[in-house]
Amino acid sequence: MGVEIKSEHIDIAGKGITLASVRGGSAVIGVCSAGYGAKRGDTSALTRLLYIGNNPVAEILCPNHGSRNSDKMISLCTGYYGMDEDIHSTLSECLNTLNHGSSLEAGLHDVLALLQDGVYTLYLSDYYPTDGSGTFFWGAYNLAHEIHGTAEHSRTIGKDRTYRPCFLIPGSPLDTYDSKTIQMTDVAVQSRAVQGIVLHVTGLHSVLLKGHHGAVSCTAAKLPFRCAVIEKINEPYTDIFTIPAPAPAPEENTQEENTETAEQKPTPAPEIQEQEGITGFRSASVKIPLELMPRDMTKLILETRFEYKPAHYRTLTRKVPQVRKKSYSNKLVPRPVLDLCEEMPDSEIMESVFAVDKLTQPQLDALLAGETECDGEIIISPNFYASIVTACNYLQYTNPKKFIEFSLNILDNPDLNATHEYIANRISRVLSKDVYSFFRAVAENEDPGYEKIIPIAKKYIAYYDKQKNDK
Amino acid sequence: MAFCDLKPVRIYSESAGITYYVGDVFAVYSNTPTPLIYSWDQVTAVTEDKRAVTVRTKNFDYMILKKEIASTEDYFRALAIIESAQRSGGFEYDHQRRILPLKSEYIETDPGKDCYSGSCIIDEGEAASTFVMLMNFRLMKVLWLLAVILMLAIFLGLHLIFGVTRSNVLYFIPISMISGAILTLLVYIICHAAARRKYTSVAGCDPASDEEITFLISPLGFAACESCTYDGQELIPWSSLDYFVESDRMFVFYKDGSSSVFIPKRAFDKKCIGGIADIISLRLEQR
Repeated sequence: MGVEIKSEHIDIAGKGITLASVRGGSAVIGVCSAGYGAKRGDTSALTRLLYIGNNPVAEILCPNHGSRNSDKMISLCTGYYGMDEDIHSTLSECLNTLNHGSSLEAGLHDVLALLQDGVYTLYLSDYYPTDGSGTFFWGAYNLAHEIHGTAEHSRTIGKDRTYRPCFLIPGSPLDTYDSKTIQMTDVAVQSRAVQGIVLHVTGLHSVLLKGHHGAVSCTAAKLPFRCAVIEKINEPYTDIFTIPAPAPAPEENTQEENTETAEQKPTPAPEIQEQEGITGFRSASVKIPLELMPRDMTKLILETRFEYKPAHYRTLTRKVPQVRKKSYSNKLVPRPVLDLCEEMPDSEIMESVFAVDKLTQPQLDALLAGETECDGEIIISPNFYASIVTACNYLQYTNPKKFIEFSLNILDNPDLNATHEYIANRISRVLSKDVYSFFRAVAENEDPGYEKIIPIAKKYIAYYDKQKNDK
Repeated sequence: MAFCDLKPVRIYSESAGITYYVGDVFAVYSNTPTPLIYSWDQVTAVTEDKRAVTVRTKNFDYMILKKEIASTEDYFRALAIIESAQRSGGFEYDHQRRILPLKSEYIETDPGKDCYSGSCIIDEGEAASTFVMLMNFRLMKVLWLLAVILMLAIFLGLHLIFGVTRSNVLYFIPISMISGAILTLLVYIICHAAARRKYTSVAGCDPASDEEITFLISPLGFAACESCTYDGQELIPWSSLDYFVESDRMFVFYKDGSSSVFIPKRAFDKKCIGGIADIISLRLEQR
């Protein structure tokens, strides 16, 4: 049976969303469950395999029985030396088609045919070519380690909000890096509208299928790394609707009586309306209510499993334990690219950005006063320290000037010293005269209240002075 | 999730005009254009009885008649999906007696290279005789004791009725011994019939007794599952069992003091039985 790909555009609250359904896909690119990793002696960690063609690309170890709230450990599979030629050429053709002005659904048609059956959303989004902690993505996954931001339900963002994945997992090992190709992509990226093709894997992370060299060139040229994103819609979600309590009907009595009764009567609590069944299906970035989901796509979701093993699953698992000749690569990504990656937003910042809609000055003042509520509403979280950290990260991304001001106010307040080390680390990434003056004062006074941040202050002063002298 | 590769099952209820989907979610297509879909954590209970499978949610009960399920394979697939969803969904699950372990006991894991697999239909006579053997295993000492007590009781009875004298004692001793043995044999036959009936009643409830079953023994665990639902990637860890008993025809695994799984030896190649017995005896206590 051939592959059947259909696409639809739907509108959700004025936002256009492209959906594509795949039926009879060859499932040569995808993620599948590989059971419990008993070989590691840990029977509570579920393993998932990211695969391309006949090769397992990355092992994703999901702790706590695959809990969606836990960050994953990811490592490139041993013995993986790059994707098959036919898949590579399909991806190259698709990227070219996209850059010749074709629509997402037309440009990604052949890539969709390589995926598992299901419903996907397609969109363009800027990616940071890092692992989410400032390391360039291509060489960041050679050894298994916990990757922050890989939990499907981030505790900072919450499980009800949507977010846009923005960090990368390589689809090719660093051994495939070629400095000659970089010379070509350095020119090509200047004229490209779409720099790469990614498939969402977990949390804030997607696998880069095409555009590895382009990512190096874009970072070096400080160009946004705009990718065509494919995201599977398969998670049921249920929204809880809160109906505001109806205002009490005015009674026929005097104004005096009214004021008395208003004081006595408690305000009725808003009614929480529970819906029968789920509200719809979602991916990381979109929530599609059932009413808006095209009928044949709903049917397709119901007729397929959310994640299933491909026909060549046994070939994949046989390849997983192969010993890699070397766990490192001799290839070197240019140093300036690595340095620029360190300055990019990390997963904590991005989680805060997706967790907070906006922060007003009264809300920031309330936080500085030690409050977690403003005008009767929780500002960010009922946990004060979590609120401070999230607010700082949010401001660092959205309003760097306010971030410095807010952070220095926190550091000035000895009552908030539990957050000082974290905030000092955050603010030490920013070169600013105000920050320099503050850290200088801290280093000179050696106040016992600032004991924890004195090393950070000294390091910052040395770095700032060096930068100043270099200029 | 174990059994994550099983294709969702579509069941059309002609009597109610409703189409159900049992998969990663439970969906109900009635007369409305949009289906009503429940995630498994929104299901409060599932009851499986002789006639139907009833899925209960907070406000509605959906009764799926077994006769409306298109094929036996669909039935087993639907039950396997429900049982594995029960592990994560946490709903109540009432079911009829089973000859095979529930799918919620399985974990998804690679059995590895050192595993043995085979398949067969569980033979009713074979299983019943194993039941009887297990009964013997439990009752033999009790039956001997019963025989002795009966003999003494009959001898005492004869003495009270006729009075034991030197002339009749040589008749009374063999009479009481033979009567005691006959009565004990009667008790034994009744127990046999009860044991056989016990198996047939369990097998009668579970359509799996007529199906081909795949058995898998691996150092990590074992599986006994309908062949139409099993893909060799799920196992029940040995840690979930207590001990095992080996008969000439079967391995019987015990959990919480009662027999849990019967693994017929004829499902496997004869030359593998030694290896299988080694794997099992290294991981479970033999009684």
